[in-house]
Amino acid sequence: MASFFRELKRKVISGRVWKSFFRHGKVDTDLNRALAITSNVILHLHPVKVRKDSVRFWYTIGLGGLSFLLFVVLVVTGILLAFYYVPSTDLAYHSIKDIENVVSYGRILRNMHRWAAHGMVITVFLHMCRVFFTFSFSKPREFNWVVGVILLLCTIGLSFTGYLLPWDQLAFWAITVGTSMATYAPLIGEKIKYFLLGGNIVGQGALLRFYVLHCYVLPAIITVFLGIHFWRIRKDGGISGPVLTGEVEKASVTKFPQKSYGLMEVASGREVTAEYNPEHHVFTWTHLLPKELLATIIAITLLNFVSVFFDAPLEQLADPRVTPNPAKAPWYFLGLQELVHYSAFLGGVLLPALIIIGLVVVPYLSKSDQGTGEWFSRYRLLPNIIFGTFVVSMLLLIIIGTFFRGENWQFVTPW
Amino acid sequence: MNTPMPDRKEKETRIQTRRRFLELFGKTSLFAGFAGIMTSTMRFLLPNVLYEPPTIFTIGVPDDFPPDSVNFIEENRLFVFRRPEGLYVISSICTHLGCNVRWNPVRGGFDCPCHGSKYDGNGKNIAGPAPKPLKWFELSFNGDKKLVVNTRREVSKNFRLQV
Repeated sequence: MASFFRELKRKVISGRVWKSFFRHGKVDTDLNRALAITSNVILHLHPVKVRKDSVRFWYTIGLGGLSFLLFVVLVVTGILLAFYYVPSTDLAYHSIKDIENVVSYGRILRNMHRWAAHGMVITVFLHMCRVFFTFSFSKPREFNWVVGVILLLCTIGLSFTGYLLPWDQLAFWAITVGTSMATYAPLIGEKIKYFLLGGNIVGQGALLRFYVLHCYVLPAIITVFLGIHFWRIRKDGGISGPVLTGEVEKASVTKFPQKSYGLMEVASGREVTAEYNPEHHVFTWTHLLPKELLATIIAITLLNFVSVFFDAPLEQLADPRVTPNPAKAPWYFLGLQELVHYSAFLGGVLLPALIIIGLVVVPYLSKSDQGTGEWFSRYRLLPNIIFGTFVVSMLLLIIIGTFFRGENWQFVTPW
Repeated sequence: MNTPMPDRKEKETRIQTRRRFLELFGKTSLFAGFAGIMTSTMRFLLPNVLYEPPTIFTIGVPDDFPPDSVNFIEENRLFVFRRPEGLYVISSICTHLGCNVRWNPVRGGFDCPCHGSKYDGNGKNIAGPAPKPLKWFELSFNGDKKLVVNTRREVSKNFRLQV
């Protein structure tokens, strides 16, 4: 029996149909390890070979890949939820109730969508911290950091627009507060609010607008910029790392001074990286893909586990007449809400604008690339301290807003 | 015969300037046309008809409100005050970020649950992040002796409607 299956497998693999799918042979030679990546449209997001120090888990902590994985999970669960969700003020809340209580496995899917969304905000933010503290945006990668900032804004935008869709009290008042912040923008504030809400109040117009932004506009934008983000990493020779040292066969460098294009899929960068000590590079197929597969399985299992046991919040039907006390924005905005408590212009307009401008400008401020690819490099002491202070103070504000604010936004202790 | 060279050159220059003008004119028109398309597309996103609650509505007759009382009308998000000197209406929409303020009978003022703004009994902002006092709306009688609120018309805090 076993020999029958072995024979069948051999026949399938050597057959014409299989070979039309997978053009490489059995992956036991270097050539096939390379072809397995280059002849597959999805896998060839990766280079054939990656730097050894870039596949170390504690270098990247897999945060970029994890963010992308969560995005894929969100697309899949989001499309599934869209089969039942109705973006109307009369039906939205009830369709969510249906998904929770009537639709088979609806509750788990909604929970997964919600927790993956929160997870993605966290992983994208941590990914940004990782890139900063390893100084991975040094020349020539400045613009890819800017693309990353756009992706962060899209992530927050997606999370925020998704927040309104259940049309419960939590959603309604978070969006009321969030969109009112826009009115503090000088001159065009009222116009922005009217544009966002499609009217003067959070009503049917606003719900439909947020639905369209959440399901069509922002996913389209984020997909395009994800493409740019990945493509640029490849063009810059894979993910960052410290300057390579070791034996270099200089002869081959002068032999092909410009011809890196012919070796694009085998070597990285403008130079023929095969010239570097081959010890520095390892095959993606054997050293990266198994790790990624493992991380994917762990992440999805964990997400599913959380979603089975913890339910996404759903409060009562939205009621414009009754403001819950206290009314809080989504947690990642609570730092800003805490500031908004002191001054709406400061917390709602000035500071967010300064943060975004600061993030966009930051990669262009560094003069040298010393310290690239190194966690907390001594060459980056001052920038790291400044960025670290920014991160810690944002976190502190979020913690205060989440746990230490009660009725009427009075200071309370959570214990 | 013997046409001098400068003449030809002059002709060429003239053609050059005309060509350059036409090129500039063409590009500008294309750009203007494109900008027009973009503007109209943006304008498309601003609705002209809104299906929102009316801004002029009745809230009942004076006798619905007991003497010397503060009444919150949830539906219209406003407070109706009946004082010895007359009736008046104050919006419950916090001027900070649009939450509903609550009447605090102990203090005789309004508190906002969202960001801790405080107002006095006349809706003047006295603490917290609120930048402006609460709005006072025009109150009048219609033909049926019913109270009519117009949220499009703001009035000063000296406004009283005599019963």
